[in-house]
Amino acid sequence: MALAHAPAPASAPASQQDHPRLALVARIGAAVLGGYGFAWGLVAAATSLLVAAGMGFHDAEFLASLVGVLAMLCAFLWAIAARRLWRVWAVLAGGGALLAGVGSLVQAVLG
Amino acid sequence: MFTTFRQAMAWLHTWFGLVLGFVLMAAFFFGALSVFDREFDRWAIPATRIEPQPMPSYERVLRPAFERMQPTRAAVDAMRGQVDGPMPARFDTVAYWSAYTTHRDPVVALFAGYEVPNARHAGEQIYAEATVDPRDGRVLPDDRLKVGSGFFYPMHYGLTLDWKNLGIWIVGFSALVMLAALASGVVMHRRLFREFFTFRPGKARLRSALDLHNLTGVVALPFHFFFALTGLLIFAATYYFPLGHTQLHELHDRAAAIEAQQTGLPHQRAGVAAGLADVDAMVAQARQRWEDKGKAGDVGFLVLMHVGDANGYVSVYRAGTDRIALVGDGIHFKASSGELIREDPPATAVARMAEFLTGLHLQHFRHWLLRWLYVLGGLAGAVCIATGFVFFVEKRKRQHAARGSQGARVVDALAVASVTGMALATLGILVANRLLPEDLAARGDWEQRAFWTTWVLALLHAAWRSAPVALGLPNPAWREQAWAISALAIAAAVLNWATTGDHLLRTLASGYWPVAGVDLALLAVSAIAGLVAHRLRLRSRVRAAQAHAAEPRHA
Repeated sequence: MALAHAPAPASAPASQQDHPRLALVARIGAAVLGGYGFAWGLVAAATSLLVAAGMGFHDAEFLASLVGVLAMLCAFLWAIAARRLWRVWAVLAGGGALLAGVGSLVQAVLG
Repeated sequence: MFTTFRQAMAWLHTWFGLVLGFVLMAAFFFGALSVFDREFDRWAIPATRIEPQPMPSYERVLRPAFERMQPTRAAVDAMRGQVDGPMPARFDTVAYWSAYTTHRDPVVALFAGYEVPNARHAGEQIYAEATVDPRDGRVLPDDRLKVGSGFFYPMHYGLTLDWKNLGIWIVGFSALVMLAALASGVVMHRRLFREFFTFRPGKARLRSALDLHNLTGVVALPFHFFFALTGLLIFAATYYFPLGHTQLHELHDRAAAIEAQQTGLPHQRAGVAAGLADVDAMVAQARQRWEDKGKAGDVGFLVLMHVGDANGYVSVYRAGTDRIALVGDGIHFKASSGELIREDPPATAVARMAEFLTGLHLQHFRHWLLRWLYVLGGLAGAVCIATGFVFFVEKRKRQHAARGSQGARVVDALAVASVTGMALATLGILVANRLLPEDLAARGDWEQRAFWTTWVLALLHAAWRSAPVALGLPNPAWREQAWAISALAIAAAVLNWATTGDHLLRTLASGYWPVAGVDLALLAVSAIAGLVAHRLRLRSRVRAAQAHAAEPRHA
């Protein structure tokens, strides 16, 4: 396929054209680490909210894990395909931290 | 980075598929073998070639075996750093004793957890396990490797890389990449249904490899998707998203405390010594209760919690042989009096879903046709990955040859090692299992060494023979290793005959399928590998003749 060698499209930011390898590492990092961070936050928020709604912990944990795994798959695909990488990092890292915060907050409120 | 979505998906499919494909190959192949893990165990440990046995009597068989159990010296040494002061000579405070068997097991597996005195972390436990013959309680030597359940199965989910659960993380990430590869593969091949019915074996190698890749990928797509997903879910709460032990620790502990209150099953010891009522009577009562509800009454799992303490209880779980869902239907008794504490209520909707999804993956049910479909699904996955490698190499090797690049050559050598090399390593462990002296100390470790040594040799061989790939020609290692597979598979079956006397005529006549099945599979593998090697030789001869005919024109 040799797509890695294809010239960057004209619309891509200059930094990506200058350092294609760095851009690739940043993208894979966003897909793997960003995706995992986002999924973690989602599982934390979903588990705590489901427990708050009256579900048993292990049921909540399982359901949240299912959602988390599927969310990580979507985040992974999106991170590879998205046009602007900074937006991917912002949504995955920022969103993940926010969701994890929700998890801890709900835990504190329930305590 | 990519101009179109399809381009991005194609890049993801190609490169992540290639890099993690080597891991996925192992996950699919050993997963397929693990479907018959207990049968490989019987083949590898001839002393256990007996019919499956039910859970034995506690008083007669299990209790004496439990009482003899202690952690291994290695486990004690590993624990030393976690303890202030000296280690005890014997661990007496039993956190739990448990016994596990399935409808395919002639032996019963015992597990024990002991509290560690003076441990730095409160609640630290040290573990022990043993395997006993349920007919007489005889303990099997613990250095005999259960090649199926003790090696192929851990290879499937964790590559036997135990350090910091590294293998489980690598396989888990590969499962995610499998899901991504399936999604991106569907995006790449929009004409999915036409390709579903397309296989052109006679066409150029590139085209037929791609056809087979698409065929095995699409036909088994629901299988691959479900197994990658449920595999991730089985480990999610323990390894991948362990929120209950980390971020949501408090929430988990509060829920556990409330649960203990509701169920009446104490979470902790009371610190007051107490006796033990008749466990066999509790088991009989549990079976009666299942039978009254029309459920198959085999005991799969027996647990004694907080042994010797007033808070002790006995849990009896049902072996779920009659449905896909992984069920327990646990019935719990007070250990000191034998009175019923609780019968697990019907599962919640979410728990039923969890039981179904995990049960679908772990297949504890009794259904041999379905079991074989799992093997076919797993092998289809392995073929899908292998043809992906072949396509990758075939597509690039002429360009690479023209450019003088070694890329295709390296990938091809790794592909040989992970396709034929993995089959060779698997046969290597089976052959070593039959060849090593019966009384060799740490025999199981030597068997594993034989596996890894064979694999490394296969990789070295593939690398050594790989030069033609850099010229745009096939690597003869494919053919040579196919011959080796054919020879080793026959050797394994013959060695089984020579060392145990259980040849096919005998095992087939007596209907002993665990060993007959493995032997038949070995013969089938030998025949298929021989046929493949023969075809590859014919092809290389044709190529040599063509090259010869073309030569004068160059001159």
